[in-house]
Amino acid sequence: MSCSFGGLHVLKNVSLVVEQGTITGLIGPNGAGKSTLFNIISGFLSASAGEVRYKGQDIGRLPVHARSSVGLVRSFQTPQVFAHMSVLENLMAGCHRQGRSGVVSGLMGLPRARAEVAHMRQRAEATCDRFGLQGIRDRLAGSLPAGQQRLVELARACIGAPQLLCLDEPSSGLNSEEVVQLMRVLAQLNREGLSILLVSHDMNLVTIAEVIHVLCFGEIICTGSVQQVQSDARVREAYLGA
Amino acid sequence: MSQHSEPLLGVARVTRRNPAPTVLAAIVTAVALWGLIPLFVGRGVIDLLVFAGIYTIAGLGVTFLLGQCGIVSLAQSAFYGIGAYSAAYCTTQLGWPAPAGLSIGIALSAALACAVGWPILRLSGYFLALATLALAIIAHVLFVEWDWLTGGTLGIGGIPPLEPFGLRIDTPTRFYYLVWPLALLLLFLHANLLRSRMGFAMRALRDAPNAAAVVGIDVHMLKVKVFILSAVLGSLAGTLFAHYVSFVSVDAFGIDRAIAFLLIAVLGGARTIAGPMLGALFVTIVPYALSSFGDIHAVLFAVALIVAVIFLPDGFGGRLSRLLRRRGA
Repeated sequence: MSCSFGGLHVLKNVSLVVEQGTITGLIGPNGAGKSTLFNIISGFLSASAGEVRYKGQDIGRLPVHARSSVGLVRSFQTPQVFAHMSVLENLMAGCHRQGRSGVVSGLMGLPRARAEVAHMRQRAEATCDRFGLQGIRDRLAGSLPAGQQRLVELARACIGAPQLLCLDEPSSGLNSEEVVQLMRVLAQLNREGLSILLVSHDMNLVTIAEVIHVLCFGEIICTGSVQQVQSDARVREAYLGA
Repeated sequence: MSQHSEPLLGVARVTRRNPAPTVLAAIVTAVALWGLIPLFVGRGVIDLLVFAGIYTIAGLGVTFLLGQCGIVSLAQSAFYGIGAYSAAYCTTQLGWPAPAGLSIGIALSAALACAVGWPILRLSGYFLALATLALAIIAHVLFVEWDWLTGGTLGIGGIPPLEPFGLRIDTPTRFYYLVWPLALLLLFLHANLLRSRMGFAMRALRDAPNAAAVVGIDVHMLKVKVFILSAVLGSLAGTLFAHYVSFVSVDAFGIDRAIAFLLIAVLGGARTIAGPMLGALFVTIVPYALSSFGDIHAVLFAVALIVAVIFLPDGFGGRLSRLLRRRGA
C-alpha cells in the first residue's frame, strides 16, 4: 500500500507506505501538513496530484463512506462522537456497514431489520466489554469527558472491523495515565492484526510505532525506527530541538 | 474484531433497563379513548381534529427531518400542494379515481424531492433551510401562475369524497376514522424506522456528519432518501386535505403553511414519537380557541407560541417523555 501526493502547497511529493499489520507513525511540528495528508488518505480532501493506493487499488476518488467499506477508518483530532446518542448507540451506529436493511424494511419493522438491530446491539455490548465502557454505556456520549469520548470513538471505529485504522492526534486532551492506557489498547489491537497509522506530535505515544515518518513543511525528511528518527540531525533540528 | 473476547480494559457491567409494560398499556388506553372522542364532541371540534390528523401526517415529515437528521425543511407546503392539486386535477378534470390522484401526487413529490434534494442537501444549516424556503416560494408562485392546472386563485372545486372499499367518507366523523388510524399507523412506522439500522444512521448524521461517513454511512444518499420520504408524507396529507374540504386554492399552500408545518415539529418535540400529533393539535386547536377574542387572536397565538418555546424547549413530546421517565424511575 502506498500513498503519493505532489503539487500541493502543503505537501510536496510526499510518499508514505503503511505496511500491513504494522503501526506506522507520522510525526511533525505544527503546520507540517500532517492533517492535510491525513485528510487526503481518509477522503476528506483530494490530492491535486498523485494517488492513494490501498491494497493495490487506487482509492483516491472513493468518497469517505466507501473507504470505510474497504476497511479504512479514521478518527478525528477532536473526538467526533454522536453526542446525543448513548455510548451503546454510538457503537451500534458503528456497525452500519455490516448491515444491509434499508429505509423501507426499517419502516415496516420487518423481522430481518429487527434481527439486524438485535445483532448490532449484541456486537455493541461485546465491544463495550472489550473497551471497558460498560459502566458508561447508557450515558450520552456528548456528556463524557474528552478521554472517554476518545475511547468511544476508538471503540466505534474498531466495531466496524477495519483493516487500517488512521488515528489523528489520539492522545490530545488525554492525561498521561490515559495515554498509557491508549498505547496498551493500540498495541493489543495491532497484535490482533490491525494496521495503524498514527498521526501525532506526541513523541512518547509514537514510540509504539515500528516505522516513523517525519513530516516537515510538506516534505518527509526522515523515515526509520524510533531510534533512527531520534538520532537524525535534521529531525532534531526541525522538531525535537524546537 | 468481534471474535476476540479478551477485554482491552477493565470491565464494569450495569443492568439493563427494561421497557415498562405500563407505558404500552397507557398507549393502548389512549388510542381507545381517541377513538371514542367523536361520540362526545360537536361537529366543529371533530372538523378541527380531522385537520389535526392531516397536519400530523404532513408534520411528521418535517419532524423526522428536523429531529433525526437535523434538516430544517420549509418546503413541506410545496409537497402538500402537489398532493392536493394532483388529487383535485385527476379526479375533477380527468375523471380518474382517487387512488390515481394519490399515486400521481406521491410520484411527483418524490421525483421533485429527489431532483431538488440532490443538489440542495449538500448544503447544511441555515443555507439548507433557505433553499427549502425558496422551493416553497417557487412552488407557491407556480400554483398561482399555472392556472390551467391549478385553477389559480379561483381554485378547483367539486373534488369527490374518498370511497375506500365502497364506503363514502363524506362527513367529518367518517373522515376522523379514516385520517387518525392512518396518522397513528404512520407514527408507528416512524417509530419502527427510528429503531432500525437507518434510524441509527439518521441520528449519527445529525450529530456528526463526518464521523457518520467514517462508519460507512452514505450521508448524502441518506439525506436524499429521508427528504423523499418526508415529501411523500406531505403529498399524502395534501391529497387527504383536498378530498376532505373538496375545494383547493392557492391560499392553502403558502409560506404560512410551510411555517405551520415546521411549528408542528418544533412545538411537538422533533425527537419524540408523539411529537407531530401534539404539535398538530396545538396549531389547529389553539388558534380556534383564541379566535373568540376577536382581532387580537393572532397576537395571542404568537404569544402562546413564544411561551411554549421558552418553557418547553424539547416540545410537548419532550416534556411528556421526561415526565413519564420520572414516573418510571
